Amino acid sequence: MAWLELPSSPFGRGAQGSWDAFERLRREVDDLFSRVAPRGAWSGSGVHPPVNLYDTAEGLVLTAELPGMKLEDLELSVEGQRLTLGGERRIEYPESERTSFHRRERRPGRFRRTIDLPKEVDAEKVRAGYRDGVLRVLLPRAASQASRRIEVSAG
Amino acid sequence: MSSEIPRPESTTAPSAEGSRNERESGREFTRPGPVFRPDVDIVENPEEVIVLADLPGVSADRLRVNLEEGVLSIDGEQARESGPPGTPVYAEYRSGAFHRRFALSERIDGSRIQATLRDGVLELRLPKAERHRSRRIEVHG
Repeated sequence: MAWLELPSSPFGRGAQGSWDAFERLRREVDDLFSRVAPRGAWSGSGVHPPVNLYDTAEGLVLTAELPGMKLEDLELSVEGQRLTLGGERRIEYPESERTSFHRRERRPGRFRRTIDLPKEVDAEKVRAGYRDGVLRVLLPRAASQASRRIEVSAG
Repeated sequence: MSSEIPRPESTTAPSAEGSRNERESGREFTRPGPVFRPDVDIVENPEEVIVLADLPGVSADRLRVNLEEGVLSIDGEQARESGPPGTPVYAEYRSGAFHRRFALSERIDGSRIQATLRDGVLELRLPKAERHRSRRIEVHG
């Protein structure tokens, strides 16, 4: 079975034509695809989940794209101003006597990332949720860091 | 032949930028933003073709899978909730939409397609139409 990747613009039914047409189309696909970016962080070698870190009034929020993770394979810890995110992404394929791969881009493997947090957080109150393949960690700021209103008295 | 996972209409009116995006790409988008090509695995066995696609941040109501005239298209939009909840400190990825299309040379039985979205991974099972399944041909000496 031939798999042909198509660009965003619609093509006619010529996609299943001769080999020449196939090659021409493939080149066209490559050119057009420069506008549709691969999900960079996952496409290198190994597993390197991309993270974003945000500063909010309540503390810090970390999000990480980790599609298809089992929660028991995910490790998250906070020590001082250092957050460690590690785990293993397992990819299982349906068993079959005669199975062939046409594309194999999703990467399994272990990963471990250490992120320095720009402010102190209350490690006891860290909460994490996983939904639709995205990890979201809420890191409330440490009590000593919470902003206090300082009264200014006249005189 | 057309098979589609129904997707509820977005209640958000497209912005001016969104409309431009829509015109450029020829697809519907409800918000502006980058379009990413999801990583996929495509596995084939004698009975079916299985497509696995990484779509982190996409929920079932924001995913559209379509098979029409031998072209399989996958369109997903990441949830707005995954947008910036504060001031970015580190930013290693952007949120947007996923898009990918494939032409299938094999005939698929559209009535038996199964699609499952779990933890940001789409699993599509595309059973081959009966007459296109590979057959073992006995050779007699």
